[in-house]
Amino acid sequence: MSERPTEFSYYPGCSLHATGIEYDLSTRAVFGALGVTLVELKDWVCCGASSAHSAGAALAVDLPAINLALAQDAGHGDLLAPCAACFNRSKAADHALRTDPARRQAAESLIGFRYTGAVRVRNPLDVVVNDVGLEALAGHVRRPLAGLPVVAYYGCLLVRPPHLMEFDDPEHPRVMGRILEALGAGVREWSYAVDCCGGSASLARADIASRLVTDLAGHAREAGAAAIVTACPLCQMNLEMRQAKRPPMPVFYFTELMALAFGLPGTRAWFRKHLIDPRPALRAAGLPA
Amino acid sequence: MNPDSSALEHTVGAVLVVGAGIGGMQAALDLANSGFKVYLADSGPAIGGTMAQLDKTFPTNDCAMCIMSPKLVETGRHRNVEIMTLAEIESISGRAGDFRVRLRRQPRFVDTAKCTGCGDCAAACPISRPDEFNAGLSQRKAVYKRYPQAIPNAYAIEKRGEAPCRDACPIGQRAMGYVALVRAGRFADAYRTILEDNPFPAVCGRVCNHRCEEACSRAAAGDGAVSIMRLKRFVSDWAAAHPDALPATGPASNLSPAGANGRVAVVGSGPAGLTCAAGLARLGHRVTVFEALPVAGGMMRVGIPAYRLPYAEVQRDVERVLALGVELRLNARVDDAAALLAPSGDFDAVFVAVGAHAGVRLRIPGHDLPDVLLATDFLRQVSLSDPGAAAGAAAGRPSIESRRVLVLGGGNVAIDAAMTAVRLGARWVGMSCLECRAKMPAHDWELRDAQEEGVALFPARTFKEITQQDGRVTGVYTVGIDFRGFVDGRPDFDELPGTEETIPCDTVIFAIGQRPDLSLLRGPAQSGGAGGNGRPVWHAATLAGALPGLFLGGDAVTGTSFVVDAIAAGHRAARSIAAYLQARGAGPAIWPPALAERTPAPVAVLSADEARAQVVSRSQAARAEPARRPAAERRRDFGEVEAGLSEAQAVEEAQRCLECGICSECLQCQYACRAGAIDHEQREQVVELNVGALILTPGLQTVRGDIRPEFGYGVYPNVVTSLEFERMLSASGPYAGQVQRPSDGAHPRKVAFIQCVGSRDLACGQDYCSSICCMYATKEALIAREHDAHIEPSVFYMDIRAFGKGFERYYQRAGDEQGVRYVRSMVSCVKQAPGSRALRVLYATPDGKSAEETFDMVVLSVGLAPAPGTRELAGRLGVSLNRFGFAESPTYAPAETNVPGIFVAGAFAAPKDIPETVIEASCAAAHASRLLAAARGTLTREPSYPPERDISREPPRVGVFVCHCGINIGGVVKVPEVVEYARGLPNVVYAENNLYTCSQDTQERIRQRIEEHGINRVVVASCTPRTHEPLFQDTIRQAGLNAHLFEMANIREQDSWVHRADPDVATAKARDLVTMAVAKAGRLRPLYSQSLDMDHRALVVGGGLAGLTAALAIAGQGFAVSLVEREDVLGGNLRHIYTALPATSLPLESNDSSRSAPQALLASLVERVSREPRIHVYLGAQVIGVAGYVGQYRTTIRFHDGRTEELGHGVAILATGAQPGTPHEYLYGQHPAVITQRELEERLAGPAQDRLELPGKIVMLQCAGSRDAEHPYCSRICCTQAIKNALALKERNAATQITVLYRDIRTYGFRELAYREARAAGVRFLEYSENDKPRVTPAPDGGLRVAVSLQPDGEQMTLDAGWLVLAAGIQPEPGNAALGQMFKVPLSEDGFFLEAHAKLRPLDFAADGLFLAGLAHSPRFIDETIAQANGAAIRAVTLLSRKQLQSAALIAAVNPRLCAACGICVETCPYSARVIDEEKGYARVLEALCQGCGACVAACPNGASYQRGFEFKQVFSMLEAAIG
Repeated sequence: MSERPTEFSYYPGCSLHATGIEYDLSTRAVFGALGVTLVELKDWVCCGASSAHSAGAALAVDLPAINLALAQDAGHGDLLAPCAACFNRSKAADHALRTDPARRQAAESLIGFRYTGAVRVRNPLDVVVNDVGLEALAGHVRRPLAGLPVVAYYGCLLVRPPHLMEFDDPEHPRVMGRILEALGAGVREWSYAVDCCGGSASLARADIASRLVTDLAGHAREAGAAAIVTACPLCQMNLEMRQAKRPPMPVFYFTELMALAFGLPGTRAWFRKHLIDPRPALRAAGLPA
Repeated sequence: MNPDSSALEHTVGAVLVVGAGIGGMQAALDLANSGFKVYLADSGPAIGGTMAQLDKTFPTNDCAMCIMSPKLVETGRHRNVEIMTLAEIESISGRAGDFRVRLRRQPRFVDTAKCTGCGDCAAACPISRPDEFNAGLSQRKAVYKRYPQAIPNAYAIEKRGEAPCRDACPIGQRAMGYVALVRAGRFADAYRTILEDNPFPAVCGRVCNHRCEEACSRAAAGDGAVSIMRLKRFVSDWAAAHPDALPATGPASNLSPAGANGRVAVVGSGPAGLTCAAGLARLGHRVTVFEALPVAGGMMRVGIPAYRLPYAEVQRDVERVLALGVELRLNARVDDAAALLAPSGDFDAVFVAVGAHAGVRLRIPGHDLPDVLLATDFLRQVSLSDPGAAAGAAAGRPSIESRRVLVLGGGNVAIDAAMTAVRLGARWVGMSCLECRAKMPAHDWELRDAQEEGVALFPARTFKEITQQDGRVTGVYTVGIDFRGFVDGRPDFDELPGTEETIPCDTVIFAIGQRPDLSLLRGPAQSGGAGGNGRPVWHAATLAGALPGLFLGGDAVTGTSFVVDAIAAGHRAARSIAAYLQARGAGPAIWPPALAERTPAPVAVLSADEARAQVVSRSQAARAEPARRPAAERRRDFGEVEAGLSEAQAVEEAQRCLECGICSECLQCQYACRAGAIDHEQREQVVELNVGALILTPGLQTVRGDIRPEFGYGVYPNVVTSLEFERMLSASGPYAGQVQRPSDGAHPRKVAFIQCVGSRDLACGQDYCSSICCMYATKEALIAREHDAHIEPSVFYMDIRAFGKGFERYYQRAGDEQGVRYVRSMVSCVKQAPGSRALRVLYATPDGKSAEETFDMVVLSVGLAPAPGTRELAGRLGVSLNRFGFAESPTYAPAETNVPGIFVAGAFAAPKDIPETVIEASCAAAHASRLLAAARGTLTREPSYPPERDISREPPRVGVFVCHCGINIGGVVKVPEVVEYARGLPNVVYAENNLYTCSQDTQERIRQRIEEHGINRVVVASCTPRTHEPLFQDTIRQAGLNAHLFEMANIREQDSWVHRADPDVATAKARDLVTMAVAKAGRLRPLYSQSLDMDHRALVVGGGLAGLTAALAIAGQGFAVSLVEREDVLGGNLRHIYTALPATSLPLESNDSSRSAPQALLASLVERVSREPRIHVYLGAQVIGVAGYVGQYRTTIRFHDGRTEELGHGVAILATGAQPGTPHEYLYGQHPAVITQRELEERLAGPAQDRLELPGKIVMLQCAGSRDAEHPYCSRICCTQAIKNALALKERNAATQITVLYRDIRTYGFRELAYREARAAGVRFLEYSENDKPRVTPAPDGGLRVAVSLQPDGEQMTLDAGWLVLAAGIQPEPGNAALGQMFKVPLSEDGFFLEAHAKLRPLDFAADGLFLAGLAHSPRFIDETIAQANGAAIRAVTLLSRKQLQSAALIAAVNPRLCAACGICVETCPYSARVIDEEKGYARVLEALCQGCGACVAACPNGASYQRGFEFKQVFSMLEAAIG
């Protein structure tokens, strides 16, 4: 087994600086606790996840390529992209640069760098399970989340398309569940972990998003969960914003629960930023909130 | 393709068939019955293939096993078929007609010649494995038979290799074996397994250095090795506590027949000496052990302190050795080993194993002071003193109470000395040694123990002097060193200045090494003394010493080592001495003796990943740690430090074993097998075969259920594959035919079938259609409902492809009458409901909405792929595969490959069902038979029997043989009682019981008994006559009795298996069954079959593709053919077929298909027929009368001009074809723009093709003459034909708008690729319903308008059509009925000819000697017709190649006195074997045709008909005996 990396370049993307700031804060906090330094890319640009690919195939690669070029220069190791959309787009762009010489040359001459392939795009779920390891993770748990029944929700972007994401089983992913189990949470089996939440249609067709989200929350409730856990700011927001049934089901970032289990400070402030207050669910499970 | 056989220099009359499924068996039987020797190889342990796993078969719902079983038996018993299981091809050389093939055969570990299939071994086996035959839904043992009816009827042992624990052990201890038995709670058995290799379990369970645990895969998995040594101790302790539970016999593997009677002296009673003594004693030699000390056990007894190894434990093991008859002489020191040898001494061989008991002193100042001791002496003195006495009180024990003791040395012995000193009451104990703490030779745990007990460590020091005052030790002067290890036996270090230290003490114990005292090797025993270094002459491999008969072993020659190494030396000595004595008995002494070494087995090493994966399914517990006495307590006495594992701990610990080897080699099977069939020493072997041709039928595998992960297979327990469901339905399956959910065993109500999982799916690389799934899903749905009428099956499908003979009716009935719901939809995913584990199937509804429906179970209709390993097989043989890995045959040459002499059949060529496989297998056999025709009969064997004894004047003398069948019968039925009872029955002159009546040696016995006792009727009471009667009949025929003077009583299936719980009832029933059999036997009469002359000519009726091909195939195999064609030209329907599917749409790697191939094919066939001298063509002739029967037919034909001719022939093939349908709807024949597909093809590719003007819009309408009330069958070819023509139209003009109106597109197999190509080319496919057919009206522009109600939503659409092209289908030949009457063969409901059996006899008629091929059978494609025609040809040749035919012996007969000639029997007989003899006025049996079915006997109102072998008086005698 190779040496465990202690440093990553960090790409928060727009969401983690805005609507998903608690994902950003909790990610930094738990990685700090795990002894991993995150160095935010200087002058990072939008990866174009939400619209670039519809504007032009080249742009969809060139934008993330700028960030990859920055990460390559920065030399802090692999590029950690917590946002599922950023991860997906950056990874797809990296794949294009890696496998398509013409595409690579175009990006290189446009941006003015030489792609080396040394930097890989990584997601925190992957890093926690495969680099940190579940045993080490469990070693950090001070306050097991026993009594908190949850379902792990991945959405569409983290795991698909599988040949680009190379990230767990595209239909039955396991990583987040294993992390949550290591934290002591009661992870419930459900079949809806990779179903679409309609996040991309949330503004244009709120009715569709609302139906999908309400169904998902219903399935989570049916599975006996008190909360949904996600790794995507778009999913998190959409899931909290569009639920049509009461009482609403709170939605955590998995990093928030890691921090809670680690006994790190600051969780209370993050929870206050949620559209659906998760604290009753935590209290019901006998956890501090 | 094939070279003309006459051109070959040498042709070998043997064929290798690779893959023994139904296709392989069919090919093998066809060839073996045509005069060829067949080797039938299979990679598995049994033949039968996938069909054996199936429950029922479509469309007849026959039980797969029931219909296949006779084929299995026939293949298994055929004298010219040699079955080679567990075999695969390694390489091939040579050429067509003369190949040399190297076959690699995996060991079976069971001798099939001796195994009787009784299953006692499996009952004894402790290892469970997923049963692949039951699709992993149940467990079988490591020794197993693939399925109950398996052929060979023999078990096989599955091994991955030798377990690493056994491999690591110097004595090859079967650690996995006894661990497995401990897990099963079989402790006595475990003890026996341990003793197999190790006479010292109590010792090795405590003090072994257990290399097994270092090698243990569980350690590789990361959570600690299995505690193997402690499990051994547990078993030994258990055995000590349960002396009565132990098996009476010792190890079986070493036992040899008596006759060994050497006299052997063993010097030294340590582990080496006693192991050798035990081994030789078991072989029958007389062994005397000389021991100098007053106790036996050597170092085990006097070197290892009692707190580690209690004396009683050593004694226990020693006594078991002595119990074998070994003589032990204590206090008997041997001074001259050579003097023991004959002639001067009393012994034939001497084994010197005196150990290394002499201590070593470092020659430093003070070493000879009185308080300087040697560890060996010290420990020996302690152990020889009374162990029970208080510390220091015992006589002879060194007194070191209250002393300061320093032990010099860092090994195990030093630790033992130090801790013994602690227990003897020393005030202070220290240890000092050269090595640093981390590198001390003692185990780490030993050092920790010593430190716990207060022993002080002074590592990394050299000893300079033992300081003294007045002759009394005051300490040891030491210097710290940097020790680097030993170089040439001398320590290598630098002293570290300033580290000098005197360790104060008053007693010093040297524990720095031991050496042997070999003074007993003197004179000639030492001669040649290896360079004079004092070491004895010694041959390491055989342990031979300087003199013949002198052997040396153990610590004495190898230096100090572990107990287990000494045991290993003892085993080697025993083998070597036995070999020496045996050779000496036969001639002059060979020195050193020739010792055969065991061939090592491959080791089953698991990688860390594999090991971790294995852990998942086993105990997750951590390694068991036994209780230990605390240091403060244990240092006070010599009581054992470590407690054993409790029973619960032991069983749990044993569950941690990962079973690396699969078979644990525990030998329990060997103990259980009374036939002596088990041989664990079998090894892989390579055999070379010389064959003329190969037929590859390796079969199929179903694609993995998780190929579409969104359906949740492997994640949701209630999602199963169709093969798993098949096993669930099977009465012999894991649920005994109950349909149950895997998650909870509940009976499901709603069951969903999802079609095309891994078929027609470009996304997963499986873009072909698997051809059979629609039908098997339909069948499974029907059968599930048959098992449980509450089940509501729903089939989610894209197109239902019910294209085969009788399939459409089956499908329609399933949907219309039998409650199977068909939903045309693509399923997007399956979700699981929490809790209930019900499944939610999400699919698109006809109106385009998404729907969700909940089911209790989901069955995935998984597609077919070539069997695993076929890519490699093809690679080794140079056979081309298509891009999916299926074998590629040239166009219109089914069963051929790119390699001459290598043929393929079955699912290896394309996914296909059973009848197509059987047809193709026969086709491949025909090709081989043609290639090797010159060598027919050169390598086959015919049976030879002595002349039959005339018993007509003898009174009945019945011999009864009652079988124990191992414990199958004998464990329930009191067999000796039954034998005794049988002796008293009337007519019985002899009765005996046999362990296995079917074994080879019993056959010889039966022959002898028949002669000795003048037996003339034989009764065997054993198992089912279905499999075993032919064997016994052959045996009594060999003894000169008519084979029918035999009767069987089934006391197994009908008795011991049924009444397992009640032996008395079973025994009484066995008596009754034997009584009945004996009663019938007394009335048995010899029966004879008739020999019929064979007319070696064939008649082929029909000169189309099938007839031409069949005629050429028969003629090519060397037989004359009369080919009769009704028309004046040859060719039939083939004359109207112009194009094939474009090559681009086929998955071929090589591209050789040409668009005009059909006409080229026809021209070539006609030309070859005209050149073939063995074929006589009769054109313009029709059959008008048929007389005779198989072997002797006389058929009359009439020519157009009224002339008639009579043709003699032994067999006939009916290949009369079919007719194109003529539509009478859709304005066909009324409007010029309405044409048929055949007419379209003629326009496109026929002679006038250049003048063709295409309209812009063409509509094709499918099923215009198929699948309707009038034609309730599918014409099979029309979808492909339409696509072929559509593609041709698009090629002419891509702008042509083509719309195909269809009901289901049935492009099965690789034709699916053409369907996709057509869609890609822009051909539109629109579905219509049979209930709402399109309406065609003339359009003003001279074209047509086609109004269609589109499915599934009923949208109305009107299409303009320049042409409307109808798929008119295929209709049976109207003349079939008349021809059928002449040949007395039946027609199907649809008017096609009806074969003998839809699945397994697709080319035969029920009546012997008549076969069918081509469209007369059912609609089919050109290549399928060619396969059928060739197949029919070899079926015919199996008869033509015989000199004479034998009729059946068990046939009907008529008592003319009772017969009223009413004719009922004539109507009843399905084989037309009955006629009324008008002259004599009674019914007669045509013996050549009678199959002995008995229908006429049941039908006869007068009782005039009777069945030979089942005559009324015979049956009544049985009844009387039973109710008597």
